[in-house]
Amino acid sequence: MILNSIRSLRWTDFFIYAVTDPRNLYRIIQNNDPSGFGLSFTIPLVVAVTEILATSLLGQQTSFFYYKITYGWIFNYILLVFFIVITASLMDMMSQFLGFTGRVKEIITVVNFSIFPKVFLLPLVYIFKSLRFAPGFFYFFFSLGFFIWSAIIAILAVSEMNRSDNVKSVMVFLFPILLVSITGFFLTIITFFGGITMLFG
Amino acid sequence: MDRNRKLLVSILAMLVLSSIIAIVDIGITMKKNEDRPSFSLRAPGFGPGIGIVRISGPIEMSAAGNSFGLQNGGAESIVERLDQLSRDNRIKAVIIRINSPGGTVAATQEIYQKIWKIRKKGIPIIASMGDIAASGGYYIASACTFIMANHGTITGSIGVIAMSPNVRRLFEKLGISMNVIKSGKYKDTLSSYRDISQEERELLQEMIDSSYKKFLKDVALGRSMNQTDIIPYADGRVFNGVSGLKYKLVDGLGTFEDAVAKAKENAKLPDDAPLYEDVMHPLQKFLVNLENMVKNISGSPLRVDRSLYENQYRMEYRYLP
Repeated sequence: MILNSIRSLRWTDFFIYAVTDPRNLYRIIQNNDPSGFGLSFTIPLVVAVTEILATSLLGQQTSFFYYKITYGWIFNYILLVFFIVITASLMDMMSQFLGFTGRVKEIITVVNFSIFPKVFLLPLVYIFKSLRFAPGFFYFFFSLGFFIWSAIIAILAVSEMNRSDNVKSVMVFLFPILLVSITGFFLTIITFFGGITMLFG
Repeated sequence: MDRNRKLLVSILAMLVLSSIIAIVDIGITMKKNEDRPSFSLRAPGFGPGIGIVRISGPIEMSAAGNSFGLQNGGAESIVERLDQLSRDNRIKAVIIRINSPGGTVAATQEIYQKIWKIRKKGIPIIASMGDIAASGGYYIASACTFIMANHGTITGSIGVIAMSPNVRRLFEKLGISMNVIKSGKYKDTLSSYRDISQEERELLQEMIDSSYKKFLKDVALGRSMNQTDIIPYADGRVFNGVSGLKYKLVDGLGTFEDAVAKAKENAKLPDDAPLYEDVMHPLQKFLVNLENMVKNISGSPLRVDRSLYENQYRMEYRYLP
């Protein structure tokens, strides 16, 4: 059964639509035939590996790499999934705040597929590393580029999900980022001044 | 559509291939780096190697903890580190890197005894002296199987010292007197507010002499020498590395790297054997660095170290110029 569905290559549609037509991506997620939820978690798994490999290629290569590619990979994957679930939950919260129906499972699937472009970071960085042409710069450049691409995928898919305009989808997408940034900013200030008070108070 | 699907599978296959190539590439580069005749102090190591213990600054039983409750550098933590190394099957030799003018008698003796126990287990212990390894610093080094000093290392200073300031006349000038209620006549021996009596002096001298004899005995034991051979130089004088070698207080002149090479030679370890440093946990390092940074920013030049005006006299194996 599973083998047949793998052979049918219908699962590839999720990946194809993720990069070519995010609105259609949401439609096939909604149809749930085949289900994309479980499959979507393979993306953070691959992204975790490619991220570790890309950063390892840039840094000094020591035997610590063995730790990174084994325990580090698992840790990175857990961390990625954790952030995806938190992000999706916050996006769902914002959607409901704006009057849309809550669909956290579908949003998790969308966010998972939206980070698919990040897997291309490794081959691209590897090319510049082999050419010895500013691999560090291109790592950050492509990381930024893929983040924007991921954002576009998520925004268009959420827009399709809620049948809303893109402005509201952008708000839904930006809410977790803004919330985390603002909270992080104040936490840093509190920790810093709290630390000073603790040391010299 | 089927064509697109096949294309995507090909792209995914290419991604897998690029990952495998990257892993192989990293593996090859890593091997090349490891083949280089160099050693890294902080590289994570595998297999038999050398444990490093660092003794820096004045030796005390428990070094003052910082604001985060983290302690580092006291005799207790050094003994604990030595104990960890002696229980670790990977450790085939130990290097004690000393950069200390000595310290309190008991703390120094505890470290000496721990090193001696490890030495008796047959683990080669090399002392590597930095800027200074005098008095208690030398006491500790003498327990090691081999002492490596730099040409300019200040060492020696075999002896014991106890001192306290006498501010009686200053107090008299200022019209200050102390109310002392004590249970016995020696209870405030070496008080800063009065002169020391002859009886007190004799009492302390007896203790100093006893600690000095212990120092001599332990150095003679560690160095496999007669006490009579050491006594002529054990009058508190300091030596540099060269004269230390001349008087057989040290075994060789060399750097920390030479000490590493010597440890590998003694333990019959290969050249690429790893060094196991006592690396602080990244979080611990971050907190300590943060505290130092904040202290540096807010440190007032008017703030005086408490130890300068408090009379915290104690007997020390310490070089006090």
